[in-house]
Amino acid sequence: MEAPSLGTLLREHWELAKNLRGLQIELDGEKCKGVWQCYEVCPVGCWRPDYEAGKVEFHHGERCIACGACVLQCPEDAIELK
Amino acid sequence: MATAFMKWLERSPADYERGIQLLTLGRLERLQRELVENHIGSGDRVLEVGCGPGTLSVRMAAAGARVTALDRSRSMVEQAEIRLAQAGVAGAVPLIHADAATIGDRFEAGSFDRVVCSLVLSEMPDASRRLFLRECHRVLAPNGRLLVIEEVRAAGWGARVLQAVIQLPLRSLSWLLTRTGTRLVPQLAQTLELAGFKTRVSAQELAGTLQLLVSEPAAVASAKKPLRPVVVGELAHHTSLRTWLLNLWELVFRILPPYPSWEPGVYTLGDPGPKDPVLVTGNYDLTLRRLAWALEGQLDAWVLVVDSSGINVWCAAGGGFLTAERIAGGLRSSGLDGFVNHHAMVLPQLCANGVDGWRLREETGWGVHWGPVRAEDLPAYLAAGRKKPGGMRWVAFPLLDRFEMMTATLGFYALLILLPVAIFWRPMLGPVTVSLLSLSFFYAAVHPLLPGRDGLAKSLPLALLAVGGMLIHSALFDPVGAPTLFGRGVGLSALALFVAAELQGMSPLMRGEQANWGWEAAIGAALGAIYWLLPRAVGWR
Repeated sequence: MEAPSLGTLLREHWELAKNLRGLQIELDGEKCKGVWQCYEVCPVGCWRPDYEAGKVEFHHGERCIACGACVLQCPEDAIELK
Repeated sequence: MATAFMKWLERSPADYERGIQLLTLGRLERLQRELVENHIGSGDRVLEVGCGPGTLSVRMAAAGARVTALDRSRSMVEQAEIRLAQAGVAGAVPLIHADAATIGDRFEAGSFDRVVCSLVLSEMPDASRRLFLRECHRVLAPNGRLLVIEEVRAAGWGARVLQAVIQLPLRSLSWLLTRTGTRLVPQLAQTLELAGFKTRVSAQELAGTLQLLVSEPAAVASAKKPLRPVVVGELAHHTSLRTWLLNLWELVFRILPPYPSWEPGVYTLGDPGPKDPVLVTGNYDLTLRRLAWALEGQLDAWVLVVDSSGINVWCAAGGGFLTAERIAGGLRSSGLDGFVNHHAMVLPQLCANGVDGWRLREETGWGVHWGPVRAEDLPAYLAAGRKKPGGMRWVAFPLLDRFEMMTATLGFYALLILLPVAIFWRPMLGPVTVSLLSLSFFYAAVHPLLPGRDGLAKSLPLALLAVGGMLIHSALFDPVGAPTLFGRGVGLSALALFVAAELQGMSPLMRGEQANWGWEAAIGAALGAIYWLLPRAVGWR
């Protein structure tokens, strides 16, 4: 255990930056049961309930800020951020 | 606000360990060894509360103790799992992801011979610590001991001042590098005595400021009486010199710790009765004062203030400082059950990125409802039977918020830029200050109008506008030569890049500024190179 060097810190930030740019939502339509917790918690309105199919639609993907709320609240583990 | 700041706040177990090493100058390890050698016997049933990355648990398990380890942070539990596996004791040490205030619900009376907490009591809010110490009486077997390692305040004023002076740089460094800090419990030994533990100091380091305390449960009547639920305070809007100073600090230096915070626990809003709603939030001062301001006179409610380490709910949830475990622990130690006849809590929607709603439901048996984004929508949301129309669930970034966030970041970043300029390039301090401030607020004003989806893209039109404006200005009022114009152009472009990147981290509608960190560094370096090389190439210098 030692104090972090400037090099490690910079490397960590660089990795973080790379990840953040590339993060994309992936919805597994099979697993979705239409609980709509993602719609309930998304602060930028990416999701739209599909009342007929009893599913959810990721219809404003370009708004996504990769906050991860939908991933965490989905009880079916149907959403991934990667 | 968005992702970058949350990510920056995120504290990894490795960071934590490095931070604690720094803070205690490596002396913690000596006390932990002392604890294992002198107070843990082979075969002892030990509960380690707040195990962190698992260093002490591994040591105790290696000494033959039957250890159960508990921590409220998921990443710590994961790290401890790895550590235990590496030490070959993984199967033998159950790891529990939970808040210390809930141990009474998890373990039978008399389950343990030792309860160990190393640098944990100071992290607990008062109410949690009260409940935890009471539950220790219950889970400890006869002849059981509570073993505490903690940082304590030096005795005497002189020593205290010395302690503060020595620790200031250490604390700042640890926070900057690892987001790790510790608080001191005032009068720890007395706190333990009052909670019914006969306590003695068994070993100490760092001139008595880091102590190992051994506590023996004493038969004290007060330890047996049920805990009365306590209302910590009233959430009411008021203004005073103190609130104005807080406003100023929170406006200009919002992102710099220490974040002003409130004691966690139950607060009343208006005059709530048993049927009134329970609102959950973090313990950042600005959050609570704004909540009071937005809701006073409109709502009677119980407000459960949860320890979010003094950070706003969105960033705290993103960084792992506001979690289902912390809320469950806060609820358990608050005694809210004694005030209400329902089991439904309303959480701020913006903590959904870090508070696992399903886990919270499971842990507490309470209904968890995601409230609106903004506090002022709460009355309408509650009146509609906890329903929110679209607008209540979406974040916006209107002009006033943009100015506010710009000021909140500028406080820190302006120091970052202007201090070096003031020291090394004195004549430029005036122009750089004026350019930085006007570019910042101009950008905040026109932000939605500029093309481009993120700060990096928007920095180009901003730079063009700034350079264009500068050229027109000098053509009309201030004729200067090409070299000067060139220098000003490069400087303004660099500032534009910096300003646009800076507000990105504060916008709720964009991914964090770190997403473009590499590009910004590269463009900044390129601008520097142009500034250095071009005048030489064309013979200006």
